[in-house]
Amino acid sequence: MSTRDKGILWLLLAALPVALMLALMSGPVSVNIVPALLQGWHSDSSDAVILWQLRMPRALLAMLVGAALGIGGAAMQGMLRNPLAEPALLGVSSGAALAAILLLYYGLAWQSGWLLPVLAIAGALLAVSCVWLLAGRGASASRLVLAGVAINAFLSALMALALNYAPSMFAMQEIVFWMLGSFANRGWDQLLLALPFILIGALLLYFSRNYLRSLSLGEETAVSLGFGGRRYPLLVLFGIAFAVGGSVAVAGTIGFVGLVVPHLMRPLVGQDPGRLLWASALAGALLLSLADVLVLNVVGTQELRIGAVTAFIGAPFFFWLIVSARRGMAL
Amino acid sequence: MNRIFLTLLLLLPATGFSQSRIASLNLCLDQVLLQWAAPQHIVSITWLSAQDQYRSAPVPEHVYLNRAQAEELLPLQPDLVLTGEYGAQRAASRLEQLGYRVVRIPDAYSLEQLQAQLESLVDTLGPLPGLRQQQEKLNRLLAESDADKTEKTKPATPSALILSANNITYGSGMLEHQLLSRAGFRNLAAEQGVKQLARVSLEQVIAAEPDLLVFYGGEQEFAIAHLAERHPVLRRYLHSGRVYRLPQELGFCPALAAAEVLQQLIYKRQAIVDAG
Repeated sequence: MSTRDKGILWLLLAALPVALMLALMSGPVSVNIVPALLQGWHSDSSDAVILWQLRMPRALLAMLVGAALGIGGAAMQGMLRNPLAEPALLGVSSGAALAAILLLYYGLAWQSGWLLPVLAIAGALLAVSCVWLLAGRGASASRLVLAGVAINAFLSALMALALNYAPSMFAMQEIVFWMLGSFANRGWDQLLLALPFILIGALLLYFSRNYLRSLSLGEETAVSLGFGGRRYPLLVLFGIAFAVGGSVAVAGTIGFVGLVVPHLMRPLVGQDPGRLLWASALAGALLLSLADVLVLNVVGTQELRIGAVTAFIGAPFFFWLIVSARRGMAL
Repeated sequence: MNRIFLTLLLLLPATGFSQSRIASLNLCLDQVLLQWAAPQHIVSITWLSAQDQYRSAPVPEHVYLNRAQAEELLPLQPDLVLTGEYGAQRAASRLEQLGYRVVRIPDAYSLEQLQAQLESLVDTLGPLPGLRQQQEKLNRLLAESDADKTEKTKPATPSALILSANNITYGSGMLEHQLLSRAGFRNLAAEQGVKQLARVSLEQVIAAEPDLLVFYGGEQEFAIAHLAERHPVLRRYLHSGRVYRLPQELGFCPALAAAEVLQQLIYKRQAIVDAG
């Protein structure tokens, strides 16, 4: 890792508070930030309420979800050794989304406020378990991808079916909005709900960092270095499921972050999959935070969904990947 | 004998209106029939009226649920087919061509149009007691509201803001705005220049500090569209009782709910003024 690369990573870290300030300053109401900050959490003034109860949790949630998606993408690409891998590939996002859709479909969602996010996390874990069972014991990366594609396709088909037979246009709208992702109207309760799951996921991935490093030398080398058996792949899979499931549960499905961010960060960490986890978490937090700032500053009758913004970032990235490949550059 | 003849003669104007086989091709008119017409006179309503989110009265078992197709109504031989101004026009025209009596009831997007709609319903269906009562109640409340405006001492006008599904608020030019104004509230969205519909964020709600926060529909079950209502920043409104929920029927059939809503908003305004 060169000094320049380290400098860029530090710069990204320093950019996070700047992004946070930008997010706190963004919104339809003009707020005096410093006095509102000083008035503190318990103040009843509208500026303080807007800042502490609305903007702060939303900004922090965007960062948390961005970090989770970034770290999930990096772990997925590291484990599958595939630059096009992202958490959605193994059905993590689809599993969470399907659980959410079924609840929305039957109008059961949020009979209690916790049901939807908790079941979305359960859906993500269930999808990963299915992938693991389908791939079989000691599955290679390619077999895992194949199993993931199969489970993902099945879950997508179920989602299409649910949309097809949505009982009302309201249910369909709810499902579509959920699948586009959003941080609107989220508060501290959603942040505190996602936080433990994302932390557990991050911890699991932290413990698997050396496994990911060894995998970059090939599966046989990883086994010879003592990373054989089911333990480490399971650690990675469930780490991703917890982190991404927790994110989808509170923000809906937000695509492309887990795909784009590890690519951008890989050159900066010297292709080290272990370091890539944290660098991707950092860049994911920054990217999603800035994307949400963009959402907040777009005026219109309908809210611009953050999933649409990240898709607009992701699509040109694919073009760039193709152009890079045609020029013979390494992906 | 003469007495019986006289009684029958007196009954004639009332029974002259009554149709024994009424069909509807419009969701709102379905609800009007279910609410106020005799169940045995209804032969068909739209399938939407049997859906949980729209059903405001039980659907009798014998009633056929149509999908606004002319051929569905032909075997039922209705002597009156009700339809709105816009939907199901192809089916309505086909039925007219076949000689059926089709009546187009005007839609209602304002209080004036609602009064015209109720008038049209009474003309078509006859003076059904419930319908008549609804019409009289609305007219009485509107007359009282007009009288309040002409009084020398202006009553206090607390502010209100509607927070509907997907953070939509209602400005001037909307029936909901008219109801708030007639009940004696200032609609903050209209004051800020909102015409018809606009997006309102929770930030704007907090900054505007309305005396009454008005939710719209969504009382039965949670929906992402109504997520804003659950945000903790609105708890102080809930705890102090400064909230009101417009029934969702107001959105698709104001004839059912407008008079009751206006009455309740007037009470709410009085309670806020008394507490203030």
